[in-house]
Amino acid sequence: MPKRSLYNLLWIILFLASPCLGEEFTFDLTEVEKKPYHVGGYLELRPTLFGLDRDSNLYKVRFYNQDEGKTTEQLVSILQLEGSLEKGIATLFARANFELNHTYLGWSDQGSLFEGYLSLKPSQSMHFNLGKQTMKWGKGYAWNPVAFVDRLKNPDEPDLNLEGFFMASASFIKSFDGPLKNFSFTPVFLPAYGDMNDDFGETGKLNVAAKLYFLYYDTDIDLMFLSEGSRSARYGFDFSRNLLTNLEIHGEFAWITDSKRIVIDEAGKVSQTESDVASFLIGFRYLSMQETTYIFEYYHNGTGFTQDEVENFFSFINVGYDTYLAGRSDALLKRAQSLSESGYGRANVMKDYLYLRISQKEPFDILYFTPAITWIFNVDDQSFSLSPELLYTGVTNLELRLKGTVLAGQSFSEYGEKQNDYRIELRVRYYF
Amino acid sequence: MTAFIFVLVALFAAAPVYAVDGKQLLEQVDRNLAPESYELYRKLINIEPDGKKKEFVLFTVKKGKDKIAGLFISPASEKGRSTLRLGENMWLYIPNVGKPIRITSLQSVIGGVFNNSDILQLDYSEEYNVAQVEDQGKEFLLHLKAKTKTVAYDQLKMWVDKDKVSPTKIECLTEASMLIKTLYFTDIKDFGRGIVRPASVETDSPLYKGYKSIMLFANFKKREVADEVFTLTFMPNIDSLR
Repeated sequence: MPKRSLYNLLWIILFLASPCLGEEFTFDLTEVEKKPYHVGGYLELRPTLFGLDRDSNLYKVRFYNQDEGKTTEQLVSILQLEGSLEKGIATLFARANFELNHTYLGWSDQGSLFEGYLSLKPSQSMHFNLGKQTMKWGKGYAWNPVAFVDRLKNPDEPDLNLEGFFMASASFIKSFDGPLKNFSFTPVFLPAYGDMNDDFGETGKLNVAAKLYFLYYDTDIDLMFLSEGSRSARYGFDFSRNLLTNLEIHGEFAWITDSKRIVIDEAGKVSQTESDVASFLIGFRYLSMQETTYIFEYYHNGTGFTQDEVENFFSFINVGYDTYLAGRSDALLKRAQSLSESGYGRANVMKDYLYLRISQKEPFDILYFTPAITWIFNVDDQSFSLSPELLYTGVTNLELRLKGTVLAGQSFSEYGEKQNDYRIELRVRYYF
Repeated sequence: MTAFIFVLVALFAAAPVYAVDGKQLLEQVDRNLAPESYELYRKLINIEPDGKKKEFVLFTVKKGKDKIAGLFISPASEKGRSTLRLGENMWLYIPNVGKPIRITSLQSVIGGVFNNSDILQLDYSEEYNVAQVEDQGKEFLLHLKAKTKTVAYDQLKMWVDKDKVSPTKIECLTEASMLIKTLYFTDIKDFGRGIVRPASVETDSPLYKGYKSIMLFANFKKREVADEVFTLTFMPNIDSLR
């Protein structure tokens, strides 16, 4: 082949391989055609390596009779499916979550309906929902003390979908000209009878809650309550407002009546306390000129344990562990395990926390790449978790996230006594 | 006398800019770009230097001067996300998070060169005053200054085709006159019912060297919806308007 022909061929190949040169972009109306049904969701794989803290009290409670070495692995696979069917003013929506996990305990699987409800929208200012649903009240990013009719979210993963409760809800919206720009009213009826919503609280009760929302002078304001029923009565409000275009502040306040806590004293005696408590949160979100986003929150958990109460719990575990090592019964450790599951082992069980998340959008001109670091600090005992992460969403519908977490603190502190010292996980999520 | 005539001619030549009412011209540009209340679909295409593309399709509904809402209908990873703007307030609703969070005009919910103010664009005359109009033959060059500090770009330079009274190019600048991005309006198309406007807006930025983004328009039509659509409570239900 003559040299010139070879060059021509090379140019043709280069031209064909270059998708942008002279490319005509089209927008076909079939792409926006609305179908009466929708099916979608995501598939997730999440291998995780845990570095175990073999001296910690929560390690002793879980692994006192087995040796898992210095590290343990976990593989979580999730299929989250959602679908909807629309006909006239009615829409049926369902979201189901299926998990297949492999841990040191072997394989396990779990399936649950996260949401499943019928929605009726007779007008643009009114709609009714009936079925399993989430409300997600509150303005906080990591915590929501005013989320009276939702499950607790994990501050380490606040963006995850949550399982809802069966309820009937409605929304009535009204817009105005003037300082009060709009207003909405959302009543909620949550029955807890038999198996229905039996994990919400005491059964045999009809729970009534409501939220009033106002956009007043560019400030979002919510007022909400939950009547006494399966849980004690509680009242709250939240707000959110932009002080500057790149600075938003938000807050929540909840007054919880007759809050019950099961506590253990130094001698291992378990008792129940009951009192009215306040939980609140104040925070801000700031975007710098360099497109760094800072989210900061201070959270006071009125229902949380004091430092003494948590130290008593850890002392009790130590006594139980020493008793077990001395060749006697593991009954005390089993009791500690039960207390851990009922409260002491939950995330952020104490009173005061700080949360800081710093994320940088597309550094070094790498499009769709967002590194971030999250710090959760227990003010009471000075322990903390620190989680750097790298997120890449450059491939359509594929999300890749590498995240590490280090837990640190003194003896008898919340994060210092967790069963892990560190965690490294890769999350691969494909949306369809 | 000759000198006097020369001065008069020179003044006359320099004067056409004063013959144009900049505010009226900008309002005409706004009305030619879109009716005050409408619905439309947009495809946003981010193109990387190596030619790799990522596409987003967005349904948008606007009412009056200060209300606009958008809903992502593809790709699957973004489906269901909605955005709302009420004057200077902007929110983003992510179905997983389940509640609207406040966002700012300079952020970008999709990444790339287009940011939230491009996606939730109100009328230019609503956000900018005309500081100066230059007559450049076939085009006017409008120098626009933001009315408040909350507007994404402090200054705009807008080149307007005299015949079509439609922008051909807009440069977005900071208060210190640093160029942030340039928008190019092309492909004038008749969408029907009197809406004739550019069907494609391309943008590049010195801050994103080699990257560009394109916005294509389709199904542009006048539509009036209730004010209640532009509320946080309605955000999860924007799809019901399609």
